[in-house]
Amino acid sequence: MKVFRLLTRTLVTFCAVVAACAFVLVIVLTFVVSGFRDVTISGWNVLGSQVARWFLFWAGIYVVHNTLPIAIAHGRTRREFLSAATGFSVVLAVAMSLIVWVGFVVEGGIYSAMGWKADPHGSVVAYFLMFLVWCAVGMFCAAAFDRFGAAGVFSVPVGLMLVMVTTAGIPGAGNLPFVPDLPSLMGAGWHLVSVVAFAGAVLGTWVVARDMPVRVRTL
Amino acid sequence: MRVDVQGLTLRYGDVTAVDDMSFSLSGNKIYGLLGRNGSGKTSLMSALAGYRKPSGSVQLDGEPVFENAAAMRQVCLVRHTADAADKGDKVSYVLEYGAAWRDTWDNPYALELVELFKIPLKSKVGELSLGQRSALGVVIGLASRSPLTMLDESHLGMDTPTRYAFYDALLTDFMAHPRTIIISTHLIEELASLLEEVVIIDGGRLVLQEEADVLRSRGTEVTGNAADVDEFTAGLTVLSSKSLGRSKSAMVYGGLDDGQFVRARQLGLELGPIALQDLFVHLTEPVGGKR
Repeated sequence: MKVFRLLTRTLVTFCAVVAACAFVLVIVLTFVVSGFRDVTISGWNVLGSQVARWFLFWAGIYVVHNTLPIAIAHGRTRREFLSAATGFSVVLAVAMSLIVWVGFVVEGGIYSAMGWKADPHGSVVAYFLMFLVWCAVGMFCAAAFDRFGAAGVFSVPVGLMLVMVTTAGIPGAGNLPFVPDLPSLMGAGWHLVSVVAFAGAVLGTWVVARDMPVRVRTL
Repeated sequence: MRVDVQGLTLRYGDVTAVDDMSFSLSGNKIYGLLGRNGSGKTSLMSALAGYRKPSGSVQLDGEPVFENAAAMRQVCLVRHTADAADKGDKVSYVLEYGAAWRDTWDNPYALELVELFKIPLKSKVGELSLGQRSALGVVIGLASRSPLTMLDESHLGMDTPTRYAFYDALLTDFMAHPRTIIISTHLIEELASLLEEVVIIDGGRLVLQEEADVLRSRGTEVTGNAADVDEFTAGLTVLSSKSLGRSKSAMVYGGLDDGQFVRARQLGLELGPIALQDLFVHLTEPVGGKR
């Protein structure tokens, strides 16, 4: 629990502060843009569907690449850390999806007051699952590169397959190749595919990192 | 804390860093782990700390260490601070990690050491000088109060006063909180007085494990008139010698018998203990084709 508490307290707080700053920036930019042209899209949706997932991907990389060796150096096992990191990824995804949802509510109010139009956005569950899988895939790729060096590049196509399924339910985030209509045909059941992708990423991280050596790093 | 290593082998690709090594440390002493560059010191300590999965057996108080939560809690290895700190973290945050994750962490002592070594708490680790980063490693190692504390080249970049402050802090803390401390260093003579037992490795293999005093008694420093010293040391294994005018000092390896003690007295030669460093050089560098 100690690892989980520290990760959650520090990184979730940091990510929430970054998200709040990003929201303010988006609103300011929207007002600036409105001076030149009509506002027809949600700036917060662009950020939430395109940029935020990469931020969560980075968070996953940071946790494994930077924090795992520190935890081991302070006498924690890989097993303890990976359990805590998995729990942390869920908490972070919940926090970030709630922030995104609150952002849509606030942005919607501003758009209504200003008479602007916004394009549709995904459900809070869809954002949660997207963030969850992207964070877990970040951990998986970081573990693969840390353990296997350049050969970790083979984790990238696996990671791409896992994250691809999560964007299908979010307008503006990208469609599935070859079967773009499949998510809409499956409806809410499609979320199960994201859950399986998350489980796959966590399992992959576990397999790669469970006996990963801590190499000498230089500062 | 007792340390038992049995048949330990560590390989990096084609390179064998530790080769079928076996030894035991009874614990609650300051051990010196000595070896030349690339001899396998860091790899050995990494296996002892659970940083690497060992091939062979590494046990602490009879428990395997790798991925054993109870055993890993008891160990702290500091390899130049880099493992226990991220370069983007502030020093104060690095100490927070220790306080949050180590049950035995002594935060007031950590802050005391930070002040002793003049490490700015608000600076990022990556902004510290090499000596300050090494000092931060010492802070992490000593304040962890781990039953097995290992410091790997922790003096790197430290100036002489800081090194002496480190040695004083180490000895004072060891006296107050006895535990098993393993130090690897190339500055053997500076640390020699602190070491109770010495483990020498070379080429990934154990060369020698001995009480430091017993090891010192394996050689003798002979000082006196150059001609008398030459006569006395003829036929003995001379590790090194220094001359100043008509005086000469020679390091001789191996014990002396009663007849040699009598002869030394007759020649007016002074006999003294040999420097640990000279013995180390002799034991890790083949002389005349044999060690």
